[in-house]
Amino acid sequence: MKELERLLDRIIQRVNINLRELEYDVNPLVQNLIPPNQMTKFYAFYGITPHHPLHLKFRHSNLAGSYFLGKCSVNNSLLYKSDIRGDELKQKADLFRYQNFEIPVDEDEEIEIEDSFLIKTLVHNFSHDPETLEKFVIRDTISTHYANIHGSPSDGCFLGPFATVDLTTIRDCLIGAFSYIQAGEVSHLDIEPGTVWVRNPETFNFLYRFPLQRLSNYIYFTAGGPPQGIFIDFVEDRKEAFQRVFNVVNLEPSVPVPGSASLDRFAVIKPKTHISENVLVSQRAYLQNSWLGKGANAQEHSYIINSRLEGNDITAHGAKIIEAALGKDVFVGFNCFLRGRPEAQLTIGQDSIIMPHTIIDVRKPLTIPAGHLVWGLVTGEKDLERNSMSLKAFAKIDTRFSKGDMLFEGSGGEFVTAFKERIQHILEANGAFFNGISNKGHAQQNQNISFNTIQPYPTGEKKGLYPTIIIRP
Amino acid sequence: MQQYRVKDLMVPISEYATVSVGSSLSEAVTALEKAQEEYVHTQYSHRAVLVLDQKKQVVGKLSQLDFLRSLEPQDEKNKRINDIGKFGFSSKSIALQQEQYRRETPPSKDIYAKAAKLKVEDFMQTPTEGEYVNEDTLLDTAVHQLTTGHHLSLLVTKEKKIVGVLRMADVFAATFHVMKEVKAIE
Repeated sequence: MKELERLLDRIIQRVNINLRELEYDVNPLVQNLIPPNQMTKFYAFYGITPHHPLHLKFRHSNLAGSYFLGKCSVNNSLLYKSDIRGDELKQKADLFRYQNFEIPVDEDEEIEIEDSFLIKTLVHNFSHDPETLEKFVIRDTISTHYANIHGSPSDGCFLGPFATVDLTTIRDCLIGAFSYIQAGEVSHLDIEPGTVWVRNPETFNFLYRFPLQRLSNYIYFTAGGPPQGIFIDFVEDRKEAFQRVFNVVNLEPSVPVPGSASLDRFAVIKPKTHISENVLVSQRAYLQNSWLGKGANAQEHSYIINSRLEGNDITAHGAKIIEAALGKDVFVGFNCFLRGRPEAQLTIGQDSIIMPHTIIDVRKPLTIPAGHLVWGLVTGEKDLERNSMSLKAFAKIDTRFSKGDMLFEGSGGEFVTAFKERIQHILEANGAFFNGISNKGHAQQNQNISFNTIQPYPTGEKKGLYPTIIIRP
Repeated sequence: MQQYRVKDLMVPISEYATVSVGSSLSEAVTALEKAQEEYVHTQYSHRAVLVLDQKKQVVGKLSQLDFLRSLEPQDEKNKRINDIGKFGFSSKSIALQQEQYRRETPPSKDIYAKAAKLKVEDFMQTPTEGEYVNEDTLLDTAVHQLTTGHHLSLLVTKEKKIVGVLRMADVFAATFHVMKEVKAIE
């Protein structure tokens, strides 16, 4: 066990060195965040499919409860219940487009995690840094509960709980709880909790910052204790349901699953859930009494409860949809928390975009009209008026616009187009448009994964550490 | 052609506006007005107030900008708006959000009365190393110090004591005078 403790100290020191300019000490936040005995309790597992390259390397690391798919290496790191999903990595001979360049990829891309501590974190997509095409590197980084590192190489950073970095290279940054950053490349920034920042330099810049006091009801993280708030209570209340799916080896799906859909065996499905064609349900997703129409998806750590998704709806990583009815083609971004009540349904009209890290939490029925963009914190009609706009009106912005706590600069048309193109790409990648022959995506390719488990040293100095393991085809 | 030194151009501290630590902004404004009235050596009036500690040492400088800053709302939201620059927004966009904030939270009517009671030490700027210049320094060197540091004035020292203030307006006037001399010789 001593070796494990030394490893944690080493990681903390390396992150602190990187964050010294921001005068930030991660030690009080991280030191007792996960009790060491928790890190020895869980097995790690990896998937094998005919569609993804298999190349895993683990050295001097703890991998408790973590999942690996594709090509990745982990060195001197602690990965606690994290998902390292290498199913969207670049492949040899791909062409990477960046500005006016078309850069050929020399070899299959690899996720490389070094000297890092990831807690319940999702790592997905591929490196969008044109300087590191074949490596998606996460180094000297600590990420806490339910963070998403999505296509974002990270060096010397700290991510608070429910933080997301998306398609952005980050260096020596502090990303506060529930912040969403999609900005291309950032360094030496201290981002306060609840910052939603989407920037495409020279084209558009979107910024919303949550009122901190209201946000603290949902997520609050300070030294000396674990993250707290409604988000944490919500997932903790449903934790037990996942224990069964991780404890049982052979688990039959509890609901009928069409041949073109994929239901991950590590997802929780509660009664009266309906899964239509081309639906993708990822691991650690939680569905209860819900109807998923054709092409809808529920990504990692998403929760869909007492809700109806008409079809081609995206529930991005970590999003939660409760007591809601979504029209067709609704996009619900990363870590959104959309909660109606049994007597107060939330209705979202078709083609609407719910920005990543949006909270809609209502006690009276609320309807979001079709084709709207919603952001920030919405607890009723007044907030909705302040934090939403029709996509048509937003697309007309051509200089700058401010509404409530939101500030936008640049081309609204380009912003809306970028979102729509990305939504289209996500649906394609997830197999929503599979026609029985072509347009296969994750929903079709992730079927029939075989899972294998690996375990750490059970006792002694190295208790909790996994032996060096190399897995190749 | 005259070779100016700092001591030739400085305003002696006895002729400059000064207040003690603990004074209110209202007292500082009064001191500035009084010094402006009494200082008749040049057309340029004083634009700052020096803040002295109990030992009469200069511990801060209060410019007109600092006075205006005291009228700005000091709440968290305003601080957040001022922080927007790090996200790559233009100054026009930051001003837009300021306007929006002002519309939603109009300033109270007694804002001036409240500002008058605020303490000088909460708004003064503490002089940095580059804001001190020895009285025997040549004008060229002082000009360099003003321009590279973007300062409006420098504190003039004799041994370890502050004896005066070198104002940009006086340096400009002297430089312009030298320029005219050179042109006349040509």
